[in-house]
Amino acid sequence: MELNRRNFIKFLVGGAAGIQLTPLPWKLTDDIAIWTQNWPWVPVPPVGEFIHEKSICTLCPGGCGIEVRKVDDRAVKIEGRTDYPVNPGGICPVGMGGLQLQYNESIRFTRPMKRVGPRGSGVFIDISWDEALTMLAGRISGLREKAMPEALAAVDGNPARSTLSLMIERLVKAVGSPNYVRIPCAEDTYEMANFLMQGTLGPMAYDLENADYVLSFGSGLLEGWGAPGRVINAWGLWHENPAKKRVKIVQVESRASSTASKADRWIAAKPGTEAALALGLCHVIIKDGLYDSEFVNECSFGFDDFSSAGGKDRAGFKTMVLKKYSPAKVAEITGVASDDIVSLARDFAGAKAPVAICGKGKGSLSGSLYEFMAVNSLNAITGRINKPGGILVHEPIPLSSLPEIDFDDIASQGLEKPRFDAAGSTKYPFSNSLINNLAAAINRSPESPVDTLLVFAANPVHTLPDGGAFRKALKKIPFIVSFSPFRDETAYMADLILPDHTYLEKTDDIVWPAGLQYPLFGLSLPVLEPVYNTRNAADVILKLAKQIGNSVESAFPWKRFEEVLKERAKGLYSSGAGLVDYDGTNPVWKRLKEGTGPGPDYASFEEMWKKIVSGGLWYRLEHTYKNWDNLFETPSGKFEFFSSKIELAVNAYAEQAGIDWALRDMGLAGKGDDVFMPHYEETASDADRSTFPLMMLPFEIINLTSTWVPNPPFLNKALFDTQLRGDESFVEINPETAAKYNVGQGDRIIIKSPEGEVRVRANLFEGAMPGVLFMPLGFGHSAYDEFSKGKGVNPNDIIHAGKDPLSGYPVWWNTPVKIIKV
Amino acid sequence: MDSALFPEGVKRCSPKVFLLWTLPWLCLLAWGGLSAFLCLYKGLNQTNMNDYFAFAVWIVFDLAVIALGAGAFFTGFLTYIIGKKELKDILNAAVIIGFICYSGAIAMLGIDIGQPIRGWFIFWHVNVHSMLAEVSFCITCYLGVLAIEYLPLILENRQLDKVKELRLFGHNLHGIMAVFAATGTFLSFFHQGSLGGMYGVMYARPFAFREGFYIWPWTFFLFILSAIAAGPAFTILCTKLAEKITRKKLVPEKAFQTLAKISGWLLALYMVLKITDTVNWIYGVVPRAGLAFMDFYREGPYGVWLVVAEIGIFGIIPAIILLVPKARQHEGWLITGCLLNCTGIVINRFVFTVVSLAVPVMPFDKFVSYLPTWQEWGIAFAVIGYGFLLFSLSYRYLPVFPRERELNPLSE
Amino acid sequence: MEKGHGHGNSYGMVIDLDKCTGCGTCMVACAAENNLAVRPDESDKQRSITWMRLYKVTNGKEFPHTEVCYFPRPCMQCDHHTPCVSVCPATATKMDYHTGIVSQIYTRCIGCRYCIAACPYHARTFNWWDAYFPKGKGLERYLSPEVSPRMRGVVEKCTFCHHRLMRAKNNAYAEERRELEEGEYITACTEACPAQAITFGDLKNPEHKVSELVKSRYAFRLLEKLGTEPKVYYLSTKDWVRRMADNYLPGEFKPIAKVKLG
Repeated sequence: MELNRRNFIKFLVGGAAGIQLTPLPWKLTDDIAIWTQNWPWVPVPPVGEFIHEKSICTLCPGGCGIEVRKVDDRAVKIEGRTDYPVNPGGICPVGMGGLQLQYNESIRFTRPMKRVGPRGSGVFIDISWDEALTMLAGRISGLREKAMPEALAAVDGNPARSTLSLMIERLVKAVGSPNYVRIPCAEDTYEMANFLMQGTLGPMAYDLENADYVLSFGSGLLEGWGAPGRVINAWGLWHENPAKKRVKIVQVESRASSTASKADRWIAAKPGTEAALALGLCHVIIKDGLYDSEFVNECSFGFDDFSSAGGKDRAGFKTMVLKKYSPAKVAEITGVASDDIVSLARDFAGAKAPVAICGKGKGSLSGSLYEFMAVNSLNAITGRINKPGGILVHEPIPLSSLPEIDFDDIASQGLEKPRFDAAGSTKYPFSNSLINNLAAAINRSPESPVDTLLVFAANPVHTLPDGGAFRKALKKIPFIVSFSPFRDETAYMADLILPDHTYLEKTDDIVWPAGLQYPLFGLSLPVLEPVYNTRNAADVILKLAKQIGNSVESAFPWKRFEEVLKERAKGLYSSGAGLVDYDGTNPVWKRLKEGTGPGPDYASFEEMWKKIVSGGLWYRLEHTYKNWDNLFETPSGKFEFFSSKIELAVNAYAEQAGIDWALRDMGLAGKGDDVFMPHYEETASDADRSTFPLMMLPFEIINLTSTWVPNPPFLNKALFDTQLRGDESFVEINPETAAKYNVGQGDRIIIKSPEGEVRVRANLFEGAMPGVLFMPLGFGHSAYDEFSKGKGVNPNDIIHAGKDPLSGYPVWWNTPVKIIKV
Repeated sequence: MDSALFPEGVKRCSPKVFLLWTLPWLCLLAWGGLSAFLCLYKGLNQTNMNDYFAFAVWIVFDLAVIALGAGAFFTGFLTYIIGKKELKDILNAAVIIGFICYSGAIAMLGIDIGQPIRGWFIFWHVNVHSMLAEVSFCITCYLGVLAIEYLPLILENRQLDKVKELRLFGHNLHGIMAVFAATGTFLSFFHQGSLGGMYGVMYARPFAFREGFYIWPWTFFLFILSAIAAGPAFTILCTKLAEKITRKKLVPEKAFQTLAKISGWLLALYMVLKITDTVNWIYGVVPRAGLAFMDFYREGPYGVWLVVAEIGIFGIIPAIILLVPKARQHEGWLITGCLLNCTGIVINRFVFTVVSLAVPVMPFDKFVSYLPTWQEWGIAFAVIGYGFLLFSLSYRYLPVFPRERELNPLSE
Repeated sequence: MEKGHGHGNSYGMVIDLDKCTGCGTCMVACAAENNLAVRPDESDKQRSITWMRLYKVTNGKEFPHTEVCYFPRPCMQCDHHTPCVSVCPATATKMDYHTGIVSQIYTRCIGCRYCIAACPYHARTFNWWDAYFPKGKGLERYLSPEVSPRMRGVVEKCTFCHHRLMRAKNNAYAEERRELEEGEYITACTEACPAQAITFGDLKNPEHKVSELVKSRYAFRLLEKLGTEPKVYYLSTKDWVRRMADNYLPGEFKPIAKVKLG
């Protein structure tokens, strides 16, 4: 057959038709369908043997128990532990999403690095650990050689009391610098209030599960306050049987948060007036004679009027409260109806086991000293201190302290220099560290007094409510070292990166989970092999100390961090008490009321340690309730409504230039004996209220991290589209206030404060107090990856922070703002 | 140049003019092609569809063209089964329009599903309880029937007709066309109905849910009725449009009048049933779901005006126009009537598709709005472009209108 | 509580809305357990893939009487003529009469989304994108092998952690048991809820706590009037919350008790 065009076409058509009769088209159809079922770009998780490893979560000071499900050496899920007494099975969303922090290379540092690009650009090059350590040791030794060891400073955001924190503080001290600075949190303020009124330094311990009336002054019980796995579990217990509901929860807050909404009663006091409300309740309780006269008469100081040395008549707490905090007056201050104040006070005093708790939001920001003292007074007059369901006062956990440091001359001289943040000075006599003052000191001086800054588990550039002051200060510090495992904003400013392991890769401890009512030492263990070339910051400190040499080296006689932990645990053993087994069947809070608990469930130190390493905990059940006679370590030996320590401190400071000056300089607006007692002061503000007629209040939500820990992307699913939409975050605003400014749902507005402005969208919410703009904390990252970078704005950027009277902590709840419609 | 391909004895424009005429339709096709590529390659994120608007503009278009394409089966039914011989003069046009509508709809569906490559799973793993399975089976089969109906016409092309085998084949096909008309009628009856059934069975969507007869919700029958009421009207419209564009009389007026009258009667009947159904729904399904009629029209742009438009302006009015002989004999009124009729059915399909999904069912759910992306419009409009193109090509090269030569004697 | 068809189990869930704090741990646990894809932007809730989703409702009252409540919404596993199952043309979703669980076969789903249209609870979500696992990020390392990640173009939904049922059954069979103990099989959200607001079990088994809880006067289901017979129940003592769960004509809703606060 001739091959011409016609035949060729015939051939093609015939061929095409012929193929239809073969199985080929069917086979192909099937094959490509199978291909769609196995697309090579859809990951197939490798199978393997399931292994379950137990540890604790150290992403927040709550320290909940976690169990990590692994497939071979790969972690695939984190779950709550049921054999850990803090949290019976549940954990918070952040802990649940923890693996996304572990396995995300773009938010983690994978090896030591040094900066090559301009500051803040995040351009680093890889270096070896040896080079990195030599670099840092050289720098610190250099400072010591120049006899200015105090130019070394550290910012530490690790949970209070942790052994790692102790190591960091020890390093800074051994080098010869007093400038160890902590990220302030509510517990600091709480401890200060306790120190002044009770004289004790025990941690915050609320017996929530045994209480029957919980009056929370702004504590975000459902927003992540304390150990979320424990508090939210308690919430579930309180609501166990609706027919026989026993417990009442009252929330004082200016916004209908989850806690406020879900509480039995919501008291919407103006932000910053909580102290007045607490004192107003005291007023009613005292007036109605509902207070615990045994406690007040026998065990307290300064309740009634008294004569001080020299025969001077002093007004006591009772007189002050009765005079100045009548329901009518308090109603005027707080905006809460006086009827509500009266009924609330009677409910509280009438309950069997009431407790008043404090700590704003999650408690990861500082509180107000006088407010916490006022709340403490409420517990005191109702005799709720050291009673089941109330506030429990404990000794600190009996961990061995580390050996005394034998300071060399350079160190001793350096330590005598004043702290840059003036914490502990006569002006701020009760504060341990004031990071806001450190930033101010650096910004004030032409040259930064800090030469080398070490940053541990903290991202102050993003998390400090300071209107960007710390970020500004960082720019002036010549050398910054970040130990963060994460590429956060502060690490971006660093010159040297010494990345820590993540919490799943390292040994760490939680000494007393935040707010827990009994002593518990939790040990977090490496459940995963480190996936990158990172090192436990504590081990890095040990190496660094060795390289610096001299007294620094001798202050750290350990080879590995585990040895330090084991050495500290010896104190637990020698206390002769405590338990290391817990099977989850009988909750500790139930057994606590039994008084003296069982003896130790271990025979030798080695046995105890072995059990701690496998179970992750040591806890103690013995508790002596109502031991009011020998409980208080104040100068009077009693609970002090009238704080002798404040009086002493103020008088000491007044020696410089008189009492009026002293009060003013310490930030106190109160007069006379009031300042020695819990009292209410209107939050000082230098802002022009006519330019900035509204207030901005940041708030925390449980499914968005606002600490140094990045937000696991899974949590973005749990955010509402009235919180974040695209890259824009929302401000909550009362419809009434919005109408005044002609702002509708979803409208774009600019919020302007004296510190700057941010652009947000409006979410009209009836639960927002009129006149106050509520902005969520945790958005507005300029670091990390596409899951959080550039999403929303950070209210911290515009916070106009004042100073809390006496404590000096930042006041972040009083930012004057105005809104401009875009 | 291509005059050798023209049907005998008719006049066609020059290739240049023809090319110019097809240009806009080719552009639409190119736009559609690009959109289709993006949707297939990158996925349906190229659209503005979402989990609230799982069905959107494409499904509205699909349903609309399938309903409007009902002219094909129904005219065939009237011609071959009922014996309305005058409709033979318009039947070819009806078949082509039907073919365009169905092939366009299936192409669009192919892009609309998330896994087109395994779309055939509908047949392989069929769930016989699903109305959509019924739709898929019937429209796929019916497209085959349409192709068979279309084929003899293609074979009548002057050049193909010269091939003896093809001529014979075409002739024989013609002979048994009644069988296919009957098959088409059967298949169409079920898929038009199932399309309505698709919505009617969604008993958890009170806006769409209808009770019914045996396994078929009332929407099953209403969709059939509305399709056969609007299909002929659409055939009339398209043919009239062809007449306007070619400036020729292509079909004897009697065919139009017969179709228009039947369409009018069916539309009137449909309106009676639709109103009955609506009333029944308002007093049945709606209150049982705890809702009131007006609850559906509270939010968004979909107000109660849609009901007034669908039933009143685009339902009762065209029915009256098409039923009154005086009115439908007037060309202007005839076109208006058909246009309103067709618009009414498009609104109906839009309401069932988009409004059904837009109305939140959970009390705390919210209304979300939806606007198609250019990719979605591209694919939707490509069907229009494709339609114009295929119809123009058919008209140019095939003896679509058997009476054209007779009605337009060449002057030379 | 005789429910469902045939014999076997009828797994169900009771969510106590008084206990639920809206923390979202259930959502995160679900996402982590079931390998849910996370995209850089999850704020478009109409395209964000969630099996368990939180809805926030308010009582609409003025300050300071406003109250917020959350509805966690998994798949309702509708028992009666399951709306999505009956419409799926390719039999890619089935209700297992032995467990009451509505399954979803991703490799069979063709992505027509009819099931999404048919479900009034928005329990079904479509994969508008390819799963987001950029090269070099290493996100895929946390994926669990028990649940296969989904490809683009298919619908997915909550399966009551069906793989956990398989796991529990395997364990039981290994011990030569045919029946599961209560609590042996629970979903990831049930396990994760820190408030213990979720109870999971066999609605047909009178021994199980769920069958007790569903008899509570405070128990209700979402859109009960439609007759979908969800196997997910809710509890709330608050009338305004219960009223949110369904549509009511004026005067139709019967409050249980006048809710008094404070």
